[in-house]
Amino acid sequence: MDKTDFSGGSIPRRRFLELGLKSGIAVAVTPPLLTHMVSCGGHAAGLGRGLDADKECLDRVIAKALENGGEFADVYIEHRHSRQIIMEESAFRSGLYGISQGAGVRVISGDKTGYAYTEEITEENLMRAAQIASYVARNGKMVDPVPVKTVNRKSFVTVKMPLDVIADSERIEIMERANQAALDYDQRIRMAKIDYNDQVRSRVIANSEGLYIRDELPLLFFITEVMSDDGRNRHMARERISEHSGFELFEKDTPESVAERAAREAIAMLEAEDAPAGTMDVVMENGFGGVLIHEAVGHPLEADNIARGIGAFTGKMGKKVATDVFTMVDDGTIPNYRGTINFDDEGTQAQRNVLIEKGVLKGYMTDILSAKQLDLTRTGNGRRESFRHFPIPRMTNTFIEPGKDTPEDILADTPSGIYVQSLSGGSVNPVTGIFNFTCREAYLIENGRKTTPVKGATLVGSCMGVISNIDAVANDLAFGPGICCKGQMAEVTAGQPTVRIRGMNVGGSRS
Amino acid sequence: MNYLELADRLIGRGRRMGANETEVYIQHSRSLSVRVRNGDIETIQESDAGGVGFRVLVDGAMGFSHCNDFSDRSLSETLERAIAFARLTTPDKYNVFTDDMPHQEVAGLYDPEIAAVPMEKKIDMALEVEAHAMKDERITHSSGASFGERESEIIVANSNGMLKTWRSSACSVGVGVVAEKDSQRHTGWESSARRFFSDLESLETIGASAAKKAYEMLDPIMVKTQRAAVIFDPAVARSLIGGIIAAINGERVLQGASFLQDRMDEQFASGLLTLTDDGLREKGLGSKPFDGEGVPVQRRTLIEEGVLRAFIYNTYAAQRAGVESTGNASRAGFTSLPSIGTHNITLQPGRDSVQDILGNTKRGLLLKGVTGYGINPVNGNYSGGANGFWIEDGEVVHPVQGLTIAGSAATILPNIDMMADDIDLNLTLAAPTFRVREMQIGGA
Repeated sequence: MDKTDFSGGSIPRRRFLELGLKSGIAVAVTPPLLTHMVSCGGHAAGLGRGLDADKECLDRVIAKALENGGEFADVYIEHRHSRQIIMEESAFRSGLYGISQGAGVRVISGDKTGYAYTEEITEENLMRAAQIASYVARNGKMVDPVPVKTVNRKSFVTVKMPLDVIADSERIEIMERANQAALDYDQRIRMAKIDYNDQVRSRVIANSEGLYIRDELPLLFFITEVMSDDGRNRHMARERISEHSGFELFEKDTPESVAERAAREAIAMLEAEDAPAGTMDVVMENGFGGVLIHEAVGHPLEADNIARGIGAFTGKMGKKVATDVFTMVDDGTIPNYRGTINFDDEGTQAQRNVLIEKGVLKGYMTDILSAKQLDLTRTGNGRRESFRHFPIPRMTNTFIEPGKDTPEDILADTPSGIYVQSLSGGSVNPVTGIFNFTCREAYLIENGRKTTPVKGATLVGSCMGVISNIDAVANDLAFGPGICCKGQMAEVTAGQPTVRIRGMNVGGSRS
Repeated sequence: MNYLELADRLIGRGRRMGANETEVYIQHSRSLSVRVRNGDIETIQESDAGGVGFRVLVDGAMGFSHCNDFSDRSLSETLERAIAFARLTTPDKYNVFTDDMPHQEVAGLYDPEIAAVPMEKKIDMALEVEAHAMKDERITHSSGASFGERESEIIVANSNGMLKTWRSSACSVGVGVVAEKDSQRHTGWESSARRFFSDLESLETIGASAAKKAYEMLDPIMVKTQRAAVIFDPAVARSLIGGIIAAINGERVLQGASFLQDRMDEQFASGLLTLTDDGLREKGLGSKPFDGEGVPVQRRTLIEEGVLRAFIYNTYAAQRAGVESTGNASRAGFTSLPSIGTHNITLQPGRDSVQDILGNTKRGLLLKGVTGYGINPVNGNYSGGANGFWIEDGEVVHPVQGLTIAGSAATILPNIDMMADDIDLNLTLAAPTFRVREMQIGGA
């Protein structure tokens, strides 16, 4: 239950997006979604006048939510449509299309949260949800809600080729290209699975502080899995790309290139031998290796467990927790990145948050509740999987700042150990700080050189241990897309330059 | 809303809109979650939600769509999307919908009492289980306690005349706590989940177990990297059994992506290993009268004394393999296509007592917690993070954490040499304690 999981394996019920909007270089789309989303008073509202009417309805819902007491209430309305196409064994096995909509009402009273949601968005149902959510606030402090007023914020998501003008035949073509490139790479490639996902999520957030904000976030996620088999060994490799973007993503990074990267790993790992076991030095290549930091340091810096007084970093603000070379940032505003959110699901502006600077703990990631409990500022990390969940502190794009070393020097300076090139995923217990991650592609380091590939080993460590043992950070920062699960899913990126960690426990089967 | 009537109407609409075959899957659920911490409510969450998933076949090609809006217009639009998608995918002769087969009802899947218990009582239970867990002085913090419940109604209908429904309930109560000493922190969590409210374990037992799991890990000592016996506690059996279940998934076998694909009727594991899947167990949390495609579930032996006896199939994979569906189509709700999964898995107990196993272990690890992905179903590799207790000369000597364990299916499964008799059949993966003679353990 305390576990959080940065899953990389199969992706259940992933839903991704289509369609871009706001400050799009070429197009700004205003689909009619939001207008029929909020049909308060039982009638579909028109754009303009209708939205004003909606605001009055939202004021009534918020007032209802705070009727019994409570110091904060908000309404979150969401509409999402998603598309998934799967190509497996060179056939288009299935196409999925989904529409999901609903609205949740939350009340915060002291440390308590009440939450209820409805899938049929009418004023009557919102009022009922408000009433259920207000249950926790009995005998709580009373506040007068401020009438909601539109707030506009800058978007960090631009779209050149909105997906609503892309025919499904073009998606199919992209997938066929990836499939072919994987199979053509080597005759030992036995199977490819191409998993195309897009979605658009529209959200409206209104709260008792008078905020009313809305936007739409497109999201594209493209996954290739490639299996090699030489009759002796077998390896399933994976490569994924994802951005809040239009179809231009495939011009920046072609489907062939994505598939070939997966195929390269699949073939390279056919030669894998058993990994050694025990404590040794680890060099992690740049990119998705950032999962290490996401798990080991990121989750423990989410403020919910800090507010509960049980998080591994409780009481360490301003203290030296890592080596001087270690600076870590969470930034929800990196243009178009998968973890970019513009504003969080509570309406707080996303920003660049320095969490650890040159080894000193500078900040936690907060949502409205934990910021209030800890008397900290809101950092824009209050996120939720959907209207079915209330917000909790989550990461966005989390990374280690680049250092001065070169990746070549770090490797050459490491006489022996494990070189980790890609990971399947990992998890952490945010209270004890004990974390693990599983390698998908890794090599032995012998005399400062990458040598024999080794089978997927799990590496374990403790968060305090790992950040005080990172003794070299390179200048080659890169990111990888991920799905983070903390009771609810969130799309994130994890980033890091090549780093060296002294003394991790490697779960190999060779003594 | 009468979902049976609606499903029937939608099947007809699918035909008129151009689908050769239509399947309608409706799920409606009501749930409540209460979370308390430090003697007061932290969150209360309630929901009443549902939706429809359409699977259609057009000239042998399949499309799927889902929505959670039951308005007539949305349902038609969603159905139309599935049909449009079916024109895009590849025709496949194995895409068929199942015939309407009679199924038997399973006793004890729905308890009307859960919903009738007042909210105040549920809050009190969460508060009480937390209080029990906090009693021990070594426990310094609560991570929170919770009560949860869920009722669900599922309708599966298709154009072969199938129109079935079943209803289920479940409730759970659990608590997590932290034990602290100097700069050490350890967490412990325990919960009880049942189909029936009155079957929940005593709050005192749950609370005491959570506390014990936290404080018994205090003062761990690191051990050296070595080969030694590993005793799997029932709570970590999934780490090995999960990979076996994934490897006998019929679709994976057809794709050549299973380490067991060529081992049917061969001995690949210890003779102590017998694995069954029972979808019909009374009150079983994984029980159901029929699977996600409406196929009746069964009681099957998957592995018999170490010999592989069965693969598991949904309708599509079974058609491809030239066999009948085994009733293992699983769905993660109305938003998901049928995949392949199990019901109530049991690793059959043996004759040893847990004490026999410990007493017969000269040196080894009693594994209580494990991280990582378990056995890799593609190639059988195994590697995980581990914690638990170190055993010397048949006695537990101290806790251990931050270890790794590793091996492969081929070296671990034949070397299960002791199987205990302790089993809790209330779990969807029920296993006794068992021992693997030797594994690689990574430490200092």
